[in-house]
Amino acid sequence: MEHVAVWIAAFLTLGIISFLYKDNPWYKLSEAIFVGISAGYWFVVLFWDNIYGKFWVGVFPPDVVDEAGNFVSHGVPDYALIVGAVLGVLMLARLLPGVGWISRWPLAFIVGCTSGLYLMNYFSSNIMRQVQGTIIPLFGIGYGASVYEIIGNIVIVGGTFAGLVYFFFSKEHRGAFGATAKVGIWVIMITFGASFGYTVMSRMSLLIGRIDFLFGDWLGLIK
Amino acid sequence: MSSTTRIRELAVVILILVISVIVYIGKIQGWNNGLMFSPAVSLTVVIVIFLLLLYILLRTLQGHLIGRRTVFLFVGLAVVLPFFMTLTLKFRVSPEVQQLYDALSELQPGSKVLVSFDYDPPSAPELQPMAVAFLRYCLSHDLKVIIIGLWPQGPQQANLALEDALKSKEVAAKKPEYGVDYVNLGFQVGNEFVIQRMGTDFKSMFPKDYSGTVYDDLPLVRNVKNFSNIDYSFNLSAGYPGTQEWVQVAVDRYGLKMGAGNTAVQAPMMYTYLNAGQLVGLLGGMNGAAEFELVTNEIGKGTKFMLSQSFAHMIVIAFIIIGNVAYFKSGRKKKL
Amino acid sequence: MRLLIHTTLFLSVFIFIGSSRIFSVEPSPQVQADTLVNTADTVGVSVAPVTSLLVDDYKYDNGEQLNLSWVPSIDDQLIDGKVSVYRVYRITNDSTRELIAELPPGSNSFTDKNLNRHDTYRYIVAAVSASDDEVLSTTTEPVQPQREWINFRRGYLFLLALIIGGAVIYYIQSARRGKKLFVRKIAGLEAVDEAIGRATEMGRPILYIPGILDMDDVQTLAAITILGRVAHQIADYDTKIRMPVSRSLVMTAARETIKTAYQTAGRPDQYSDDMVSYVTDEQFGYVAAVDGIMVREKPATVFLLGAFFAESLILAETGNSIGAIQIAGTARPAQLPFFIAACDFTLIGEELFAASAYLSGEPKALGSLKGQDVGKAIAMIVILVGVIAVTIGNAWDVKFMNDVKDMLTTIFSTQ
Repeated sequence: MEHVAVWIAAFLTLGIISFLYKDNPWYKLSEAIFVGISAGYWFVVLFWDNIYGKFWVGVFPPDVVDEAGNFVSHGVPDYALIVGAVLGVLMLARLLPGVGWISRWPLAFIVGCTSGLYLMNYFSSNIMRQVQGTIIPLFGIGYGASVYEIIGNIVIVGGTFAGLVYFFFSKEHRGAFGATAKVGIWVIMITFGASFGYTVMSRMSLLIGRIDFLFGDWLGLIK
Repeated sequence: MSSTTRIRELAVVILILVISVIVYIGKIQGWNNGLMFSPAVSLTVVIVIFLLLLYILLRTLQGHLIGRRTVFLFVGLAVVLPFFMTLTLKFRVSPEVQQLYDALSELQPGSKVLVSFDYDPPSAPELQPMAVAFLRYCLSHDLKVIIIGLWPQGPQQANLALEDALKSKEVAAKKPEYGVDYVNLGFQVGNEFVIQRMGTDFKSMFPKDYSGTVYDDLPLVRNVKNFSNIDYSFNLSAGYPGTQEWVQVAVDRYGLKMGAGNTAVQAPMMYTYLNAGQLVGLLGGMNGAAEFELVTNEIGKGTKFMLSQSFAHMIVIAFIIIGNVAYFKSGRKKKL
Repeated sequence: MRLLIHTTLFLSVFIFIGSSRIFSVEPSPQVQADTLVNTADTVGVSVAPVTSLLVDDYKYDNGEQLNLSWVPSIDDQLIDGKVSVYRVYRITNDSTRELIAELPPGSNSFTDKNLNRHDTYRYIVAAVSASDDEVLSTTTEPVQPQREWINFRRGYLFLLALIIGGAVIYYIQSARRGKKLFVRKIAGLEAVDEAIGRATEMGRPILYIPGILDMDDVQTLAAITILGRVAHQIADYDTKIRMPVSRSLVMTAARETIKTAYQTAGRPDQYSDDMVSYVTDEQFGYVAAVDGIMVREKPATVFLLGAFFAESLILAETGNSIGAIQIAGTARPAQLPFFIAACDFTLIGEELFAASAYLSGEPKALGSLKGQDVGKAIAMIVILVGVIAVTIGNAWDVKFMNDVKDMLTTIFSTQ
């Protein structure tokens, strides 16, 4: 059985890699299998975890038993879940012409909840903490920083400030403001360069992982 | 497409299959014990590739452009060949990895470490080596590991990583026991809302562990109520939900001490959290995994893969140079 | 619709309050233990006991923690100290005492976590000598941990959210009243006219890709808004547009937008539903189809505006290889490097939304853009003032500067 599994995996991996040569039926087959399996997998996971695991078990909980399997007490049902389930069913109203507007109510609930939560999270983590983290002494604590650290500090503070200036839309980019914005876009471009490098590294890692599988787990050529 | 090309392509495919079958039979029969180049051969291979690149550069300068398949071929060779080379690569530990390790090594034996596996098999080449190295360190240093996953396949990846970590000699010597020294609480739907609820009550989110044991029957977590009982946490993240959500909810709201291991794609975005002190350390991509292995003195897959990674990067840099030469030589619209 | 907005707003505020625990506090009891040493417990004294043991409710929690503080034993000295360890004991309700922590010499406080707000707790701290002789302090009065509904430590967070949220509402209202709000020129946007003109001259179509997410994504909305303007010009110049989409709702919205543009331009007969076609929801299936269209039809101009994922480079590279002028824009940072490398103009991050607000003149979009600018202005000023204060304060120890720095750090701390 193990042999079959490793051969299927190798067959599909090679199929996907064959796209580098050109689009071909082997690639299409591998891709279709991948798409189909992942869609099916997600359906199963969401069904068992959400509909069964959360809702069904929550509303109709099994009895509590001790280690020997003897009855201890009835489970406590959580009827609040029914509200969520009803809202969930209302989402399906989208499919029916005429009553499609009903689906807006659960949407309003989702949008309301998530925006409330996100507002807090983003505001504190991505704005306040970041502003606080940027307030650093340029020359280190008690003048103690090395030249490299001073340059690093200036880049952090200057880069953040210039980046903010670039994304400030209420003022024309002219004069000193425009010059700062220019610095800002340079900093942003350098960041993109770094990000691009990291992406290359990430994609290479994926390729290395597959090569390790093909030459190691499959063909056994790697010691 | 002409029928001769099709026949030729089919022949190549069949050839590859036949060779694969032979090599595979060799693996089962035991007369294929892996391939290894001697140092001299390794060096020759490197020099030949370098000369070929130089040749391509010269051709480009003369105005001859190469096809994209040549680039693929070179990248492929750069990734495959190092697996068989006997070269060792020296690299140093970057500050963010050192910080992560320092915070971990300061923990007292018996401290509780929460590890969240927020990734699936496609990101495993980058994150699995980190997971294995981290678990190996924790289990061999008497740190208690509590595993959860916000991605459905996360806990399965955790089990694979545990399997690998338990094979290590130091870990095996400690004879870690499930439920006492480590526990896998499984997956829970709800993304950052799960983290939010864990801030007040772990048990409500994970009433049972991965294999169905009731929360209170697990000695390790019986007294763990929320993040205030966790001494350190490590998040392995490949996207959403991941490190960003953990920082926003668990770190900033509940003051959890957290280090993160990220895929290289999202690592640059996490440096802002590292700078502001919201993360104690960061492992970025395969490189981060290799450095963590170095700092914990355990050679694993991260280190093993680094040679291929470095070779591939050199090839990419070479082609960026060649590409730019081509760009400036032949104007805006002609491409590789 | 209005009711819907109100519900959404109400829920947001509700969750906001709930998640930050902003309101109402009950005064917390502070119980001082009798500082007299309980002589019955101090047989075989070798070290002096701790004194002034206080139990204090931990502020702004869910009623799960208590703070303990005490004055260390007088025998706990840095040099020649006789105390080897402090042991903290807890008595829950009326049960027997249990050891909950051992602390090193020099400790004078402890936070007991995981308590239940319905239980009462008493504490004893023992100073332990090197020969393991325990000297107990007196037992504190019973205390219950209190739950607070509002976390006042986050007051500044609330205030700042209020200022920026208020600014957004203010600007939306101003825009609604007809006040003209200024938005700076955006480089990529100015290239739009040129790009459409080029396609017209060459007699080749324009390809418009609105990303791969549905209409619920704000980036797709921005893309459709910009489409409105592009379509208007296309109708004017009588250029062809080709728009393959990966979501049915996007198809409907795009058809509506283009149709309106043709009607406004006075050429409703030129419009056809074929301009916008649905391909597939599947990511790479869609990409393959779009690549095919690019290679076959060789559009002169390609717009890639919206939410893109791994397909960004594939699309932008194909567009580049056919020699099209490409205008891209997305708010996904991971994809921006690819667009910048392979396209002629790129709307970076928020520029996409700014462009859409600028083109549509829609009060809500313009108002939120301006409101966010207020937030950015605050951040810029705070960073500038803070860095100057902390640098000078650190280097020359200027008290005023240190005070400014402390104030800013307190305001922007979220813990």
